[in-house]
Amino acid sequence: MEGETYEITDRFQAETSIDLASQLRLIKESHTWDSLVSTGYGRHLSQKVLGGEAVTEIKAYATSAHHFYKDIATVIDLGGQDTKVLLINRQNGQLLKFEMNDKCSAGTGKFFEMMAARLGLGLNDLVAAAIKGSNSFEINSTCTVFAESEVISLLTTGISVEDIARAIHESLLKKLVSLLSKMMPTDSSSILFVGGGAKNGALVRFLAEALDKQVIVPEYPDFFGAYGAALLSKNFLNKNKEKK
Amino acid sequence: MSQLTPLFTDEFAEFPLKRALGQVIKKREAGSKVVGAYCSYAPVELVWAMGGVPAVLCAFSNAPIAKAEETLPANLCPLIKSSFGFIELKTCPFFELTDAVVGETTCDGKKKMFELIEKNRPLYVMDLPQCPTNEGAVEYWKHSVTGFKKFLESEFTTTITDSAIEESIQASNIKNSLVEEIFSFGAHQPSVITWQEMYEVATYAMVSSGAETIAKLKEIIASLTERREKGVFTSAENAKRVLITGCPIGGDVLKVLKLVDEEGATIVGLDSCTGLKPYAGRIEERSGDPLLAIAKRYLEIPCACMTPNTGRTDTLQKQVTLLKPDLVIDLVLQSCHTYNVEAVKIESYVRNDLGVNYLKVVTDFSAQDLGQLKTRIGAALEMF
Repeated sequence: MEGETYEITDRFQAETSIDLASQLRLIKESHTWDSLVSTGYGRHLSQKVLGGEAVTEIKAYATSAHHFYKDIATVIDLGGQDTKVLLINRQNGQLLKFEMNDKCSAGTGKFFEMMAARLGLGLNDLVAAAIKGSNSFEINSTCTVFAESEVISLLTTGISVEDIARAIHESLLKKLVSLLSKMMPTDSSSILFVGGGAKNGALVRFLAEALDKQVIVPEYPDFFGAYGAALLSKNFLNKNKEKK
Repeated sequence: MSQLTPLFTDEFAEFPLKRALGQVIKKREAGSKVVGAYCSYAPVELVWAMGGVPAVLCAFSNAPIAKAEETLPANLCPLIKSSFGFIELKTCPFFELTDAVVGETTCDGKKKMFELIEKNRPLYVMDLPQCPTNEGAVEYWKHSVTGFKKFLESEFTTTITDSAIEESIQASNIKNSLVEEIFSFGAHQPSVITWQEMYEVATYAMVSSGAETIAKLKEIIASLTERREKGVFTSAENAKRVLITGCPIGGDVLKVLKLVDEEGATIVGLDSCTGLKPYAGRIEERSGDPLLAIAKRYLEIPCACMTPNTGRTDTLQKQVTLLKPDLVIDLVLQSCHTYNVEAVKIESYVRNDLGVNYLKVVTDFSAQDLGQLKTRIGAALEMF
């Protein structure tokens, strides 16, 4: 991000890897920066390799949300590992409260990945199937592993893949709505949906219907935390200048 | 920081449980009977009065849980599973030294677990009334206190006299007020005492009594006073301040407190049963009925098993006023329904009435949630 204009000058996503340190070292060789902030689960390793500062993705999302969407009070982040809901003070952008899902993978992007694999579909196919399916029954298991066996027994009863895909979405939707209802101010007409999960068009539509609110998805929802970190790095740039 | 003199300079520095074990062994070798306890509701004054020594039994390690789960359901509080696993594996040195064990009906899981361990040791279970302000509650609880006294007398063929109980009440009051004074050093900004030191003091005082203990506690107060006067601090000047409340802590669940350290914040108070809670009250002296005085004091312990549990919010109010934390972490052990549900009221009280940021953490003794906990705690500390 360009420090003066806040313009995004470059954006890239590395493959998921077990050797994050090597990936970071490559970035160090190929890029230069005046100020850097790392965020997300790998923030401490990243800070160790690349230097700079580290902030949690919760702070990064809050910063990004208030910068790009001043009227937003509630942000939901559906990631691969966890789901978070943030409540932000619309006047000053201060983070007021946050909630996260429990430590299990139910209610996260991982749930979709596993269910799609069980149905023999890619993630995009799962989403497309869900849009065609009808909301006719529920998946009752809240645990990903149990839900998987529930899906297997559903398949054996001859229910269509489309309807199962829809039920998988509805199951996750219920958890998102429950997490959101704790945190949504009654006067807000829209929420911001970020993280990789927000790329799921079916889920975005179902969520908007379930909440009866506008669900805003930024252009690159999976980069939204990184933008927040970039915005925060400007503070450190100024601090560094002051020190000098 | 280099000038920091440790509060304990014996060979057990930083190993509070080994020190406690040493204390218990010393008393046992001198002829004292060892009575194992799991909970702050155990009226230890009766054990002291018969010349015995209480031992706090192991309950905070993840290691014995796999063994426990061969018998107990997995979705049970880790404290109960750990306690039971330790006994099955015979790896709790404290339990191995005990001559008898006392339990209380604080929760369903513990109550039924006690039935499974009674084959190992003579066991007395005290029935704890859980509506402490209802008419007759104190009198009912006094029956259990009296029952425990009779159990000790018959098990160890001894007599515990009223005057011996009165004496141990007075000794407890002196000890408890010294421990409370030590914890009150948490109010200093920057900090002059670490949570590890508070935990060491609480663990030491639980199994110690007598002139030597009083002298040691006074020596600790002198060291802390010196730190304060010389400006020897244990935290950075502007470190964010955290008060820990909720379920008992120790062993593997100290992971939460270590994460707070890693984030550069300072823990200024431990408002739990392995922290200040057992030391925060006094027993009425020279009441003429020492067993009733004991019953009254112990029923005031603000555990979430009680309803209403107004003592918890009263204590939090005092602690927050004294310690001025920026964040209260409510640490709930997985499947501890009472603390978990009470958290709804505690969150509202801490945020709205006390105006302090609040974070509830539900966890167990495993390391599986370290990454997520680090994010939660980090984010809660970034908030102000």
